[in-house]
Amino acid sequence: MLEIRELTRRFGDTTAVDHVSFEVPAGQMTGFVGANGAGKTTTMRMVMGVLGINGGEVLWRGSPITRLDRRTFGYMPEERGLYPKQPILDQLVYVAQLKGMGRVEARTQVQELLERFGLGERTKDHLEKLSLGNQQRVQIIASVLPKPAALVLDEPFSGLDPVAVDSMVDLLREYTRDGIPVLFSSHQLDLVERLCDRLVVLANGRRVAAGTVAELRDAGVPRFRLVLGGDAGWVRDQAGLDVLDLDGTTALVEVATDGAEQQLVAEATRRGAVHEFVRVRPALSEIYREATA
Amino acid sequence: MNTEKNTDRNAVRNTEPAWLLVTRREVVSRITDKSFLIGTLLMVVMIVGFLGFTAWQDEKTETATLGATPDAVAMATAIADNASQVDDRLEVEVVELADDTAAETALRDDEVDAWLHPGDDGWQLTSESSEQESLTDAAQVVVRQQVLADNAAGAGTTVDALEAGSSVSTNFLRGDAEKAAVAEVVGFAFVFLFYFAALIFGMQLASSVIEEKQSRIVEIIAAAIPLRHLLAGKVLGNTALAVIQLLVYLVVGLVGMSFTSYKSYLPALSGPTAWFIGFFLAGFVALACLWAVAGSLASRTEDLQATSTPLTMLMLVMFFGGLSLDGRAQVIASFIPPVSAVVMPKRILAGGVEWWEPLVALGLLAAFAAVTVWVGEKLYRRALLQTGGRVSLRQAWSAAE
Repeated sequence: MLEIRELTRRFGDTTAVDHVSFEVPAGQMTGFVGANGAGKTTTMRMVMGVLGINGGEVLWRGSPITRLDRRTFGYMPEERGLYPKQPILDQLVYVAQLKGMGRVEARTQVQELLERFGLGERTKDHLEKLSLGNQQRVQIIASVLPKPAALVLDEPFSGLDPVAVDSMVDLLREYTRDGIPVLFSSHQLDLVERLCDRLVVLANGRRVAAGTVAELRDAGVPRFRLVLGGDAGWVRDQAGLDVLDLDGTTALVEVATDGAEQQLVAEATRRGAVHEFVRVRPALSEIYREATA
Repeated sequence: MNTEKNTDRNAVRNTEPAWLLVTRREVVSRITDKSFLIGTLLMVVMIVGFLGFTAWQDEKTETATLGATPDAVAMATAIADNASQVDDRLEVEVVELADDTAAETALRDDEVDAWLHPGDDGWQLTSESSEQESLTDAAQVVVRQQVLADNAAGAGTTVDALEAGSSVSTNFLRGDAEKAAVAEVVGFAFVFLFYFAALIFGMQLASSVIEEKQSRIVEIIAAAIPLRHLLAGKVLGNTALAVIQLLVYLVVGLVGMSFTSYKSYLPALSGPTAWFIGFFLAGFVALACLWAVAGSLASRTEDLQATSTPLTMLMLVMFFGGLSLDGRAQVIASFIPPVSAVVMPKRILAGGVEWWEPLVALGLLAAFAAVTVWVGEKLYRRALLQTGGRVSLRQAWSAAE
C-alpha cells in the first residue's frame, strides 16, 4: 500500500499542495481527480521523488519511501514524450535498463509488450513517426517496465481512442489483479467512475473528498424519489423532509430527520398507489462539482 | 529526495552503472546520426584538401629565362647551374642573344624575363619590372660568388680562405621563419578545432538536455536513477565523441602533413599535439558541464539562445583571444582557464616555454573543470525539474530539491 501523509509543497508564496493525505491500497485503482491546477501533478511528482517535499511524507509498505522503492514504480509524467528521434525498441530497452533490467531480459519484455499493443512490426520506427495514439501506447509500455511494484500515472487516458482506452484498462486490471496499487489522474469522470475502486478529489491543493465510489455516493444527505398514482402535492406537508422538486405525481425529497422517509412511504401507501420509491444517489460528476465548488 | 539512505548498489540487478548506460546512449545515438557523420567527413575532406593544396604549392617551380649577350653567357650559365642552390623552386634557362639591341627587343617582347650584361662596375641585370625577385636574388648571389672566386684567385687566395670565420648561416634564419609559420598555422588549427568542437558539441549537449526536459522523459529517468548519473553520462559521452573526432582530425592532418615538404616538422609537433589533447580534454569537460546547465535552464528549445549567450560569448573570447593575443598578454592568458585551453598549446608550439608552465596551466584548467563540474551538477539538478519558463541562475542555485 502506498500512503500519502500530509504532503505539502509550496512554490514561492503559493501552496500548491496543502497537507494532502490519502491511501492507494494494494490491488486497487485509485482515481485522482480535480480541476487543472488543483495539485494532482505536483502530488504525483512528489510521490515519484522528482519534486522536493516541503512537508509530510510518502510511505511505501509502511515505511518512508526510498529511491530504490521508487525505482520499482512505473511512472508516466504529465506531458509525456520519450526521445522523438530514437527507434522505439531501443529507447524502451534503455528505459528498462535504467530501471535495472538486464539488456537481454529488457529486450524480450519490450518485444512482448510492443506486440501486445500491436506495435510488433514497428520496433525500428522512430517515435515521432507513430500516430499520437501509438506514441501513447509506447509511453504506457515505458511506464510498466519492468513489472512495476506500483503505478503512478498522470493522465494516462488523455488522447487515447476508445479501443486504446480499453486495452489500457485491461492492462491496468492485470496489474491490480496481481495486487499492485495504481494511482492515476484524469479529467474524464465517466472513465474514472467506470474504472476506479477509490477516488480522491483535490481542489486548490486540498483534499476535499476521498473514498470508494459507493462511499462517496452514499455520503451526504440521502435523497429519495417518490412516484405516485395521484397528485404528490401533499408531500410538502410531511415533517422531517425537504422537498427539492415537485412535479405532478413525482417528488424528490431530502431526508432531514432520520426515519422521515419511512413515514413518507407509509403515508403514500395509505393515500393510494405507489409506483416508485427509490434512493437517489448523486452522479460522480455532481459530487465532484459540489466538492470542488 | 530526503530518503536516499540506501545507495544504489543493492538494487542494481544490472551490472552496468547508470552513467555508463547514459554514456552509451549518447554515443550511439550520435554516431548513427547522419548529420554528425557528414559533418565529420566534410571536415576530413577540408583537412585533406588544405594539405593537398599545400603539397601542390610545394611542387610548383618557377622557370625564368635569362637573356645574355655572348660576353655574358658564361656568367648566365653559372647562374642557371647554381640557381637551385639559392632557391630550390627556381629553374633558370639561358637564351643567347646577338647584341644589346636584340636583347632589348627580346625583353620587350617577353621572350626573356631578364637580360644580363656587363655593366660599368660589375654586372647589370635588366628586367621589365621588379617582378623577377627570385631570379634577381639568384643572380646576385651567384654573380657575387663567381666574382669573389675570380678576385680571390687574382689575389692568390681562395674564397674559403677569405670567408673563413665569417660564415653566417642563411639557412638557419630561413628555417626558423618557416618553423614559426608552421607553428602559426598549426596553432590556428588547434584554436579552431577547440572552438569548433566546444561549440558544436556544446550546443548539441544543451539541446539534448532540453529535449529530455521538454518531453519530461527526464522525470522517468529521475525516478529511476540519480540525476548526477544522467549528467555524468551525457558529459562523458559527448567528451568521448569530441575527443575521438579530434583524434581523427589530428591523425588525418599529421599523416597528410607527412606527404608535404613540412614532414620534417612532424617530430617537433608531436609534443605540442599531445599537450593539446590534454588541454582539449580538460577544457572540454569544463565547458560541457556549463552547456548542460545552459540546457537545463531553458524550458523550450527557443530559450536556449538566451540561456547560452554567456557561453557563446565565452567561446568567442577564447577563439579570438587564442588567435590574437601575443607577448605578455598571451603569457598571462595561457594560465587563465578556460582560455588557457587554447593559448597554452599555442605557446608550446611557438617554443620558449619552461617545462613547468604547461603543467601549471593544465593543473589550473583541471581545477577549473572540477569547479564547473561541481557547480554545474548542482545547477543542472535543481533547474532540470523546474518547469514553466526559463529558470534564472539565481533561482536554480537557491531552488529546493
